[in-house]
Amino acid sequence: MVAKKKSVARRKTAKRRTAKSRSTKPRKAQKPGKSATKNGSANRPSTGRSRRGPRSAAQRVGGLLVMLPWIMQRKRVKITAMARQFNLTETELVEDLQMAAVCGVPPYTPDALIDVFMDDGMVIAEVPLVFSRPLKLSTAELFAVTVMAQAAMQLPGADKKGPLATALAKLAPLMPSGADTIKVQLPKTRYVKELLAAVNSGERQEIEYFSPATQRRTNRMITARKVFEDSGRWYVAADDHLSGEDRVFRVDRIESLAGTGVFDQLREVRDDELPWFSESLQQVTLRVQKSARWIVESYPYISRTDNADSSVDVTMSITSTHWLGRLLLRAGNNVKVLKPREFKSLKAQTAKAVLARYQSASTEV
Amino acid sequence: MNLLALLVDRAKPLTLRQIRQELGKQYPDSDEAARAAFERDKAALREMGIPIETKTLGGDAAGEVIYWVNRSNYELSDLRLTESERDALQLAVATVHLGAQHGEEALWKLGGERHLNKSSMSVNIGLVDQNMGTITAAVMQRRTLNFEYKGESRQVDPYGMLSRGGFWYIIGYDHLRRDQRVFRVDRIEGRVVAGEVRTFTTPENFEVVAAVPTEKQMLAAGDGEITTATVLVDAALAAGVRREFGESFVIREREDGGVEFAIPCANLGAFRQWLFAMVESAEVLSPPEIRDHIVQWLEELATGS
Repeated sequence: MVAKKKSVARRKTAKRRTAKSRSTKPRKAQKPGKSATKNGSANRPSTGRSRRGPRSAAQRVGGLLVMLPWIMQRKRVKITAMARQFNLTETELVEDLQMAAVCGVPPYTPDALIDVFMDDGMVIAEVPLVFSRPLKLSTAELFAVTVMAQAAMQLPGADKKGPLATALAKLAPLMPSGADTIKVQLPKTRYVKELLAAVNSGERQEIEYFSPATQRRTNRMITARKVFEDSGRWYVAADDHLSGEDRVFRVDRIESLAGTGVFDQLREVRDDELPWFSESLQQVTLRVQKSARWIVESYPYISRTDNADSSVDVTMSITSTHWLGRLLLRAGNNVKVLKPREFKSLKAQTAKAVLARYQSASTEV
Repeated sequence: MNLLALLVDRAKPLTLRQIRQELGKQYPDSDEAARAAFERDKAALREMGIPIETKTLGGDAAGEVIYWVNRSNYELSDLRLTESERDALQLAVATVHLGAQHGEEALWKLGGERHLNKSSMSVNIGLVDQNMGTITAAVMQRRTLNFEYKGESRQVDPYGMLSRGGFWYIIGYDHLRRDQRVFRVDRIEGRVVAGEVRTFTTPENFEVVAAVPTEKQMLAAGDGEITTATVLVDAALAAGVRREFGESFVIREREDGGVEFAIPCANLGAFRQWLFAMVESAEVLSPPEIRDHIVQWLEELATGS
């Protein structure tokens, strides 16, 4: 997958709608035991909860019960840093802390109140014993920890006996019995380790890259900026010196890789800056029957409409006519091109092209 | 919050009457409204993971209910994480994205911080489904799951879960089929309902990763007999197929760089999808019945529109 730059907006839209979930509900602020309804995490790590409307009193109290023991361990924290850490605006944080400041134990004399004050941009807190210990981890939090740690253990350079492993051992007694049989399997793809090293060193790499869209191999120089896994595949975002653009390459299509000894200046790429699909790419609208739903599940799309007969109309960007032909061939009669007109006969054309191969005597055994 | 502080501080069970006395004007005057407000607070605390214990008294105070909290039920014991252990957890949470914030919340409770700087690597394990919270809780607590799948009502004892290739799978005993089955979470129709805790036991030697067939195994998974198809893959794509299947599937290499592979085929649908991903760069050479099937399929599409 090679795509041009200036595509961030589209990628975000398209990816967020990648149909692992049929729900179109907006993401809710999370409560223990409820997971987010929508993906989008590939592009937006740690950008936090996107809230709609005001936070409920229960949400605010729940947040405080996490924040108070946290602040107790630190005594003094910058308001800006703390707001950022907890995904709150500074106003929200100050309001919450003010709410906490009137909480305590009857008869509510000052010594029995939570002692929070804000001074010179700092939060300083003395918390009575009752609020000083953190809450137990919820099932959802324990699940998150076990899944994240397992995935991290499979990453290149992971130390199987290192601090992550010992931290997990300490957490183990908290895990419910069923946690043992929850597993994460990351794809094993060669060159991931080498590319990661290249991201960190800035060493330019020469790669041989295969593009199925053009059925061609190219040799190119790249400076790797970020290595990431999404939906079971590894990708590398890199400066592509062949095209002079930022591009994303599928690591499993890199046929060979070698360091060049040339070192470029290090540059970090945020997840939401990753170049994916160009705005200028052609769009198609397909009618997908239920039995070919993998199309909707496997590829990012721009919009979808669910029809009464359980078929789905999806509009997606395509990287090449060849790619679309391949998709149509795989889905057979369970998919139909609605528009544009020029692709309506593409399925038949592709089928004829492949058929020609079967009909020519030269390849017969 | 004051209710919690009070119950913890007094360290002995209180009746609602006593609670109202202590909290004064924080609860409404009318009995009914005060009880409703108290019930709401009680539910909110439970939701946050702080269960309020209750007991109905007998004897002199018959019918009166007392309430208390047990700190050991909701407070995290000190895990004595070292600095480097906390750092390692922080790095794991910063690198692996779940599409939910539970990892960050866990970090805060463990005294850590979420990383705000960019990292050179990221992994995305989408927790994308509306049912994911119910399912993960049920699997962790070993509760039976009830849901609709492929138009049928299933009752499943979830033995485990696997994240692979961008999808989450549940592996469990399907009471409808009376056998172990694999379900893809995003294909579940409607809401999942969890049953009672510990209503089943996982079979011995159960292995999650092995229980979910890989794409390669899917080609061979079907109701029919497994046939081996000879497939010629052109030079351009042969290296990829070789990596995917391994050397043992190679029959021979041709002079032009094309390679003949022995591919297991029992499920024609899966086989077609795999084959046609290579479009005109691959061809089934034998057996005749599979080759004929492919030709027929292509002919239908060629004349279809």
